[in-house]
Amino acid sequence: MQSGDHILSNFNTALQELRETTLIMAAGAQRNLQNTINGLLQRDKQLCNQAIADDEDEDQLEIQIDSLGLQIIVRFQPVATDLRMVIGAMKTATNLERISDQAVSIAKRSRKMLKNDEVPEVSRIEGLYQVAAGMLADAITAYSDSDIDLALTVVENEKTLKKTHKTTSRFFSEKLETQTGHYRDYLDLVLICRWLDRVGNLATNIAEDVIFETTSADIRHGGELPPELLEGNNKPDTSD
Amino acid sequence: MHDMSNILTSPSKAAKKKKPSSVIEVEDIGFSYDLGKTETLKGISMEVPKNQVTALIGPSGCGKSTLLRCLNRMNDLIDTAKITRGTIRILGQDIHAADVDAIELRKQVGMVFQKYNPFPKSIYDNVAYGLRIQGIKKKSVLDEAVERSLKNAALWDEVKDRLKDSALGLSGGQQQRLCIARTIAVRPKVILMDEPCSALDPIATAKVEELMLELRKDFTIVIVTHSMQQASRISDRTAFFYLGELIEYGSTTHIFTNPTAKQTEDYISGRFG
Repeated sequence: MQSGDHILSNFNTALQELRETTLIMAAGAQRNLQNTINGLLQRDKQLCNQAIADDEDEDQLEIQIDSLGLQIIVRFQPVATDLRMVIGAMKTATNLERISDQAVSIAKRSRKMLKNDEVPEVSRIEGLYQVAAGMLADAITAYSDSDIDLALTVVENEKTLKKTHKTTSRFFSEKLETQTGHYRDYLDLVLICRWLDRVGNLATNIAEDVIFETTSADIRHGGELPPELLEGNNKPDTSD
Repeated sequence: MHDMSNILTSPSKAAKKKKPSSVIEVEDIGFSYDLGKTETLKGISMEVPKNQVTALIGPSGCGKSTLLRCLNRMNDLIDTAKITRGTIRILGQDIHAADVDAIELRKQVGMVFQKYNPFPKSIYDNVAYGLRIQGIKKKSVLDEAVERSLKNAALWDEVKDRLKDSALGLSGGQQQRLCIARTIAVRPKVILMDEPCSALDPIATAKVEELMLELRKDFTIVIVTHSMQQASRISDRTAFFYLGELIEYGSTTHIFTNPTAKQTEDYISGRFG
């Protein structure tokens, strides 16, 4: 709803810096997740190491975003959309940091698995990864563009995530019981399934925060979107 | 002349039929400073609930102080000022009714101004002033009222040993709280405050704000403020005015977290409109 710039130009600058830093962090979390799965599927230990090392950047960015948010609250006392934007950025940073942590967990397990012979069914993880990574990408785009429709799509996709997680996890659990020679690898794959599911959950959190930031509606834990937002055109206004 | 002593506690027969849901009911009020040539307030309608702090915000010249001064007919003192339409009822009584005396009204609707304005008298005499005007002379009654008012204004502990000292020797924050004590000494129903903290430092401001939250238990408060933070800290409801119109009125939480009108959002967040 808000339009134009603030009268205080350094308020604009601070908000812009906060948003840009959050988007940089989002790109980093996406990259770490991608590296870690590619490391597993392409049996590339270097990519796994890269994801683990780059998590440190994400940790520092989370601290930086919290600090920027705190400074904006103290210096400019934001209200309404500005306040929700600051809170949204700080919460998104927390979710992104956790996503990066999931990527690290996957990378560490993947490194262990790379020491063994390849499990032929490992590629089955890719389907779940695509769902979780797709949700993350959409959540970040929704955040970047303040796109409520896309954020709602992410929330809706959690059902697909659960279904895919259940199917994939069950597949590896059955293998764990029958293919005893690779039981450690299958156990690791079950855990990786859980972490990817968690990535999807955290992407949903980001999407829910986008909806709060954009509309002030809190849809977490069964909260409903106001009817006017369900019926209306929720696409961001890109007109000049 | 109608007995005005209880004007706001004894509404007329017509008003008795309809129990007021709010202490103040403003209905389609239009106001002009130049005998109706131009309207400074353009059809304002709002209700102020009992025992709440209601903040009026908006840019300079938007009409918020004008509306505040309409509520106790302070604008009657301006020759060319004129209510062009609408009604204002306080506790169900139309304050512009023929039998309502403006001076009696102001006893029930007290006012605290931007610049604290104690009389050049002692602290005691400042607080007792309104009661003496009402004809109360008994010392024990005045003593009790002065002590109660100063306590209610959170000033008693600071001045109890120097009640006979000049009020002008108090600090700015103390002088403003003394003015509040003077206002509440006559037990008004409503207290109007026009930027009461604009000349005070942060500590004095905090004390006055804390006082407002205490006074809310006994009085209905309407405050004009240019400080968004002050409005969000102390008010229960906030009304945003722009160019003589009431743009948005609602709970303070709503106004400061998710305002409905774009103009409200632009103003409170300091954006270009």
